Amino acid sequence: MSGVLISGATTPLGAALAADLRAHDDGPVLCVGVEADELAADVLPAGVDYQRVDLTRPRHVRSLLFGPVRRLGVSAVVHLAAHRDARREGGRVHRLHVDATRLMLRLADDLPSVRTFVHRSSVLVYKNRTDQADVFREDAPLELSPRAPQWVRDRVEADVTACAHMGTGRVRVAVLRCAELLAPDVGSQLWDYLSGRVCLRPAGFDPMIEVLSVADAVAALRAAVTHGAGGVFNIGGADVLPLSSAIRLSGRDALPVPGPLLGPLYRLRAAVSDRSFRYDVNRHLLHFNGVLDGRRAAEVLGYRPTHPVTWPAPGA
Amino acid sequence: MTDARASLLSRVRRRLTGGAGPWLPKLPDGRAVARWVVPVDELARVDAMPLRDLGHGYDAYGMSRGGLAFGLALSHVLYHHWFRVSSHGIGHLPTTGPVVVVANHSGTLPLDGLMICADILRRSPVPRVPRAVVDYFVGRMPVVNTVFTRAGAIGGSRANFHDLLDHGEVIVVFPEGTAGIGKGWDKRYELQRWTHGHAELALRHGATIVPLAVIGAEEQLPQLGRLAWLHAFGAPFLPIPASPLPLPVHLHLWYGPPIRVAERWSPDDAHDPEVVAQVAAQSRAAVHQLIHQGLRARTGVFA
Repeated sequence: MSGVLISGATTPLGAALAADLRAHDDGPVLCVGVEADELAADVLPAGVDYQRVDLTRPRHVRSLLFGPVRRLGVSAVVHLAAHRDARREGGRVHRLHVDATRLMLRLADDLPSVRTFVHRSSVLVYKNRTDQADVFREDAPLELSPRAPQWVRDRVEADVTACAHMGTGRVRVAVLRCAELLAPDVGSQLWDYLSGRVCLRPAGFDPMIEVLSVADAVAALRAAVTHGAGGVFNIGGADVLPLSSAIRLSGRDALPVPGPLLGPLYRLRAAVSDRSFRYDVNRHLLHFNGVLDGRRAAEVLGYRPTHPVTWPAPGA
Repeated sequence: MTDARASLLSRVRRRLTGGAGPWLPKLPDGRAVARWVVPVDELARVDAMPLRDLGHGYDAYGMSRGGLAFGLALSHVLYHHWFRVSSHGIGHLPTTGPVVVVANHSGTLPLDGLMICADILRRSPVPRVPRAVVDYFVGRMPVVNTVFTRAGAIGGSRANFHDLLDHGEVIVVFPEGTAGIGKGWDKRYELQRWTHGHAELALRHGATIVPLAVIGAEEQLPQLGRLAWLHAFGAPFLPIPASPLPLPVHLHLWYGPPIRVAERWSPDDAHDPEVVAQVAAQSRAAVHQLIHQGLRARTGVFA
């Protein structure tokens, strides 16, 4: 491997991946984020290159890929960039989630050195209903409802965009559908949910959730980069537990509330605080089991979750 | 925030929560409840049952030993005292490998399914967990869905079937579906439309089909009518039972000789509609025969 580009590198996940790749001396690591250089220097490990790039601007993306990426001979692109605040919607957010993914895929195809494109997707792309499987395989139906929030629709569209590129381009594309990552500043809705003193949950429902630690997410991304296999992979976590257990292990109080009240209550909370948890985004995961079948990732990538979350998660 | 205000808030919170615990009283552990009502030997079987524990005491579907124990406790009175379930031929249940138990469905409320699971939990030759397949709308019912999944029930999607049979589990299905449970008094002990899905899945996974007849459930809760326009939680109709409580009928469960699909067909035959239909017809005929055997053997509805 001659080098790796990491978008969204200033998140804890991106920084941890950069540190891991540096530790394994996997060639130059080019980190990309929107933060100023000084801020990025605080979170990124030593020895990595950093580029401040606004991925919502096509010109910036082109300059990145045909500039530093080509110069460094990057062989793998790890696309982690996503908006961290679920309350934000609109064209700019869509451009970051979907258009930037599409453009980076297209341009990566034009760079001879790039052989692998790893796209981080989410368990939220799966259609989670009572008539669907409790354990999602990679071929499970996707959430294509037009009534789904933009946060979900964007993720599905980016996921499908990456999938559509498989076999049609030169670059091998790996889509990693990750379980909910429990970490701050990565756009984790579960983190935000468990950060509240009281976690409101639908009365009478206690679904199974799957939680991914940063260490396991890094291991999965690294496996995808080094293996270079294309395809869709579910990336499960080492913690599969009922929602109520996650709340208890986080040291929070669970307050069961009738489902119809949860939407307004969490909207009110988002309006008066800096919490971005959205009930409409997570409604199905708070009602029905949402566990990933990670057998394919184990067979092809050799990835198996081995790092459980340390409960209570720090800061949660 | 001043210290005094923080202290006041802390006191209020402690008063509300009763300490550091949750805002609402914690529900008792399933095992603790079960110890009060379930005999020790039945409870001991729960520990011997296979559970694909993913680290927190639950499998991917939400089943737990506490939930199984709670299921035993919930069904104890109904099984031993109300319906006085008599089990015949449970030795036919294989001790290993994937199994599909197929049964006739009746009784307005799915108590027949509960009693089948209670029977397998208590009396199978080797402790095995019966995974009852429930209709989609059950998953939308608060509390019920959680109690059911903790005790091993699963939603009826094909992917769930595949996964559990892949792991060699025991699945309990009613090929008649809601047509069976909602049929009128005049059609009692008549098998309704018999779906083929169980046969196809048994073929694909080389699972053994165990036919089972439930005798007595038809009389447990006769139906006066139904509200076809009322779809609470997505249920196809709301039944109007003739009695506020199920009648204390004597329930008989008749297990038939297993149909060892893998000995005669290969997994590829699951793609052949004729073979699938043939296997489904065989399971239907076996259940039909067991129903008549059971009806002939019983001495009375309540006896």
